[in-house]
Amino acid sequence: MFHNRSEALILAIPAALFAAVVFLVPVVMLLSEGFHGPAGDWSIGAYTAFFSETLNRTVFLRTLRLGLEVTAAAVVIGYAAALAIVHLPSKGKGRMIGLVVLPLMISPVARTYAWIVILGRTGFVNKALMTLHLIDSPLHLLFSETAVFLGLLQLFLPLMILPLIGALENLPKDAVAAARVLGANWLQVFWKIVLPLTREGLVLGGALVFTGSLTAYITPAILGGSKVLMLETLLYQRVAVSNDFVAASVIAFILIVMSFGANLVLKHLATARSRI
Amino acid sequence: MKLLATAIWLACILPLTAEAANRTLTISVYAYAQDDYKRLVYDPFEARCGCKLVVETGNSVERLARMETNKAHPVVDMAVVSMADALRASRDGLLAKIDPAKLPNIEKLYDLAKDPNGDGMSVGYTFYATSIVYRPDKMKIESWADLLKPEYVGHIAFPNITTNQGPPALQMLGQAMGETAPNLKAPIAAIGQNKDDIVTFYEKSSQLVQLMQQEEIWAAPIGRFSWGAFTKLDVPVAWATPKEGQTGGMNVMVLTKGSQNQDLAQEFMNFWISTDVQTALAQKLVDSPANKDVKVAPDIANNLTYGEATARSLKLIPSAAILDQRDGWVKEWNEAVGQ
Repeated sequence: MFHNRSEALILAIPAALFAAVVFLVPVVMLLSEGFHGPAGDWSIGAYTAFFSETLNRTVFLRTLRLGLEVTAAAVVIGYAAALAIVHLPSKGKGRMIGLVVLPLMISPVARTYAWIVILGRTGFVNKALMTLHLIDSPLHLLFSETAVFLGLLQLFLPLMILPLIGALENLPKDAVAAARVLGANWLQVFWKIVLPLTREGLVLGGALVFTGSLTAYITPAILGGSKVLMLETLLYQRVAVSNDFVAASVIAFILIVMSFGANLVLKHLATARSRI
Repeated sequence: MKLLATAIWLACILPLTAEAANRTLTISVYAYAQDDYKRLVYDPFEARCGCKLVVETGNSVERLARMETNKAHPVVDMAVVSMADALRASRDGLLAKIDPAKLPNIEKLYDLAKDPNGDGMSVGYTFYATSIVYRPDKMKIESWADLLKPEYVGHIAFPNITTNQGPPALQMLGQAMGETAPNLKAPIAAIGQNKDDIVTFYEKSSQLVQLMQQEEIWAAPIGRFSWGAFTKLDVPVAWATPKEGQTGGMNVMVLTKGSQNQDLAQEFMNFWISTDVQTALAQKLVDSPANKDVKVAPDIANNLTYGEATARSLKLIPSAAILDQRDGWVKEWNEAVGQ
């Protein structure tokens, strides 16, 4: 399309400048705060101070654990849902994909508030369990890790299902049938045929769900509050309450490293499997 | 000669009139109830002074951070902040002394609002009581310590240490336990022992209304300014008057050091604490009046922190104690309660 590379580069300059000025420069400025010592020299003191506090370590590990748990649950439910959807006739498939996409069009605040009603003492879950005589008094479900887990899973599940549907649709139609004819059971079919051939969808969905769970603010803030602090809610607390921009910068950097790390690991897993 | 005299007179007077018309006062306020403030405070003041008001809004952390950044060339002429934030700004060298001679209405304020931090750097314009909102059909609150009774503790929300209500509520809990303020060690330890039972440590009082509505909680310490929303619920609610008394907080007006409009800023402050303006703000339930001449009907007063007796009974934590000990409190809280 272009006669030479420089023409293409010239066209890219406005977008690159825009991104640099409104995104890169502020992010670098914010992150550099965390690497400055009290005398203005370079230092990692803020990071050692951050990790020396028990609360911060607990919050870091909880964020990592919940991110992994939500991603794992999304993979299991996502595969089941995507497999069911791709085998529907085209009209039904369109409707089901519409249903998967629908929650993405509703504000996360509204979706999260719905969980308060569902998980409350007088909410649907407790009422159902009481009616079935499984419990005598209502359970404390709100403001717990369970509530945050459910909220995050509901929030990000569509981001796992959609890439998996795309990947499953590209699966050669006769691959599963051939494996079955050759004597593979359903578990073997999934493990040796479906999983390797849909790994790109899995990696994309996994990256979106994990990164989303790490960086979500509204859901942990409403469903967990300060009883279930996550890195994002801790970051907000440090800025809005303590005016501590250094700690905020440290948390922001940790979140960025975790997101990039997850992407690298998932990409490595995908390519490692493709070499098998 | 006459012409020359007229020309000289015009040359002298024109810049003055132009300056009067161009006078601009920049104020920094909470984002809360700005439509009401515009109608009841800003517009009437603009009409009176022939000047223009520029209003900056935001939470106090953001606004103080901006004032700090612009310290050498202040943009804001006056700001409203909490008592403790006023002392912090004063210690950071951001504030100028207020001249009581330019604010004659100070004499009409309750004593606790005249010079809240005792440094002449701030004037209180509204205060609020902090006590316990509770379900009278489910429980009886006669003391702050009742919140931690085994039969109640699984049904309460407590303010997080990082909120404005946190330290005052802990202080009163401590008093109920026989502690002397402002040492919060004992109440923090007591909250820590009950942390798994307490429903949540809230950061915004607005979230409590829904929790109360769906019976998730029966009681929570709140500021009186949030009370109105609870009275609209279709469950019975009451405002506790614990035997240890009520605590609370105060918002104050401060003057920026180096501002070019200090006289105009003080004229505006004087206007804000005038009986007429304070009455108008009270009638609309925007702010509880710090001016003791304000008179409102009992149904309005019921939704405010109102009256001489209430003002006298408030046990406010001194700003210096909050500023000097907040980091220590947060650390103690994180160790005992932090999850």
